Amino acid sequence: MKETQNNIGAYLKLHWKTAVFLVVLLVGIGLADNFVDSYVRRLLNLCAIYVIVSLAMNLVNGFTGQFSLGQAGFMAIGAYTVAVFTVPIESRAAIFYLEPMAPFLANIQLPFIVALILGGLASVVAAFFIGSPCLRLRGDYLAIATLGFSEIIRIVFTNTQSITNGALGIKSIPTISSLWWTYGTALLIIIATVLLINSTYGRAFKSIREDEIAAEAMGVGLFKTKMTSFLIGAFFTGVGGGLFAALLGTVDPKQFYFTLTYNFLLIIVLGGMGSISGTIIASFVVTLGQEALRFLDEPMAFGLDLPIFRPGLRMVVFSFLLMVIVLFYRKGLMGTNELTWDFMALKYQSIKKKLGGKKTSNEGGGN
Amino acid sequence: MKKTLSVLLSLALVVTMAAGCSGGTTTSSEDSDVIKIGVFEPLTGANAAGGELEVEGVELANQLRPEVLGKKVELVIADNKSDKAEATTAAARLIEKDKVVAILGSWGSSLSIAAGDVVKTNQIPAVALSATNPQVTAGNDYYFRVCFLDPFQGTVMANYAYKNLNAKKVAIIQEVSNDYSVGLAKFFTDSFTKLTGDPSSIVATGNYNTGDQDFNGILTNIKAANPDVIFAPGNFTESALIIKQARALGITAPFIGGDTWETNEFITVGGADVEGAVMSTFFDDTNPLTEAGKTFVAEYKKAYPDRDNIAAVTALGYDGYMMTLDAIERAGSADPVAIRDALAATKDFEGATGMITIDENGDASKNEAIIKTVKNGIFTYMDSVTID
Repeated sequence: MKETQNNIGAYLKLHWKTAVFLVVLLVGIGLADNFVDSYVRRLLNLCAIYVIVSLAMNLVNGFTGQFSLGQAGFMAIGAYTVAVFTVPIESRAAIFYLEPMAPFLANIQLPFIVALILGGLASVVAAFFIGSPCLRLRGDYLAIATLGFSEIIRIVFTNTQSITNGALGIKSIPTISSLWWTYGTALLIIIATVLLINSTYGRAFKSIREDEIAAEAMGVGLFKTKMTSFLIGAFFTGVGGGLFAALLGTVDPKQFYFTLTYNFLLIIVLGGMGSISGTIIASFVVTLGQEALRFLDEPMAFGLDLPIFRPGLRMVVFSFLLMVIVLFYRKGLMGTNELTWDFMALKYQSIKKKLGGKKTSNEGGGN
Repeated sequence: MKKTLSVLLSLALVVTMAAGCSGGTTTSSEDSDVIKIGVFEPLTGANAAGGELEVEGVELANQLRPEVLGKKVELVIADNKSDKAEATTAAARLIEKDKVVAILGSWGSSLSIAAGDVVKTNQIPAVALSATNPQVTAGNDYYFRVCFLDPFQGTVMANYAYKNLNAKKVAIIQEVSNDYSVGLAKFFTDSFTKLTGDPSSIVATGNYNTGDQDFNGILTNIKAANPDVIFAPGNFTESALIIKQARALGITAPFIGGDTWETNEFITVGGADVEGAVMSTFFDDTNPLTEAGKTFVAEYKKAYPDRDNIAAVTALGYDGYMMTLDAIERAGSADPVAIRDALAATKDFEGATGMITIDENGDASKNEAIIKTVKNGIFTYMDSVTID
């Protein structure tokens, strides 16, 4: 399993399946883009953004083994960069009605794509400053520092009235509704992550996750490698935050409480720390699940008038799911496996064997 | 064994999800005998308490007037989790899946602003109940509101401080992370400096964040500035703590604030120290401004006999529903665009919280606010103020 996964030759041999899959996927996105209503479109867009941010988090937490909790902060930076630079100049006076926008920004308007990349880069700069002291240390310092950082960013944005409009937030951000923006970016980021993980850098990331001392002994530069992973993760998160702002059309500091980070933490734990496909699956399950389970909030779910069916019950399902995962599926849905063709074939075989009645307990789908 | 159990549990989850999907599709079938109105409120999360009070008002109004144009009105309530991303999907869901013709809500201006784009692009009218931020309706032809705005409330309190309390010097303590508080402080400053003609009549300004506990730093500065009155719009818990700590520091200046103070927690936390605190609000159950207000109070007491007082936002929820139904009746159809036009043309509608006329921005141009104070641990009616 492990060998085939890292072997590029095996990928090439199976290339046609992947190519067919990609074509089907692109056609699917194209069809969905033309035919779904705005509600489903919004949900699908949100899924893609969650994929991007969770993947970035998994790159740092799952693949490199550095526990970072700064997602909300990096997203805020990306979101605000897009907001500040893309709001039409003529509507700025109405938005910044308490205090006019700072003169050096007031007349700058950038195309969305430029602002998006700028947002990613701004996150990278912020990540560099937190990373340079914290990534030299071992242990939980990064988690503490990034958690603090995301709160600091939120408070800073609350108080810089002339740039971010403080607590009032910014509205009238030109919105994106096409699925191509979010899914295009998500696909690019997924491909980039897959290539990265299977490269020398990726192997260095994983070696640090497994054992820092052994990795160092093998010549992996700990600080430099951790930093690379952290900065790339921050860039992706910033871009995800920018897309988030453009999807909602408005930003304010309250959106970026540290609790936002836990959404993504839930996704990567559910999907498996260290699995790209697990993260993607979990992003969809969590985002769509929240909407699909809305009927649990209504008093008459299943035609029963029980007092437990009240607003908030659908959230309980996720807590329950997380408990089940932690108790029985410690490694999450996918563990560190990927949903490759080989993996699926193997699973299929093992399930067939099980159903065939052969009770060989140590064979099968254990991972 | 563990494995089987976990597989079973996951299966149960998938089944419930599937049930949810199928349940959703059956309810969205078109039924021409029913007019659906969406209620979009935070029922979980940080703003849940406010959302629930508004829903109470809407439901009460629905019981009183369940039909319009000979059709039954069905309320579709969607929780937006006090979360912006969720607010936009909840609004889109009401429009696309439930096919509502109008939306009421939401508590919290930022949630309403987030939904603004959705209602605008889908051309479904929405009525904000207690969202006071001007940005909710600004530049959006499909968002209306039944409450008054931050500028009006700021002006009311500035007038009160200047005329009734003879204040010449005022200190402001604002909750900087709260758009409501920042807006109110700004409009108070504007109209107070206009009244006194002295730009330095705001002698001190203090900022704090939601959840702060210790305000001694701010209060020491304010004590040094020696203001006649302290204006502290903000969240009720923090405001009550501010007043407590100010009294402990020996500050005797009266405290005035906005409608967010009017909760039981304000008195529980503040105790004897909040006696005499003055606030502006939308509604007072002992002195309803209109006949509709009297009906509302009577019906509310019938429906909830164990409640001590009626929250202003509940009255606003009632008004939002009644105004929307009035607009549907005048439009003569359940077509969302026709309802929008009728809402925009609302003139002298008699609501429980006063006469409502919708102006060109989609705001309720109310000119009457109520001043209340805390007396013997109870919010007591003091005065109603009319400003042109």
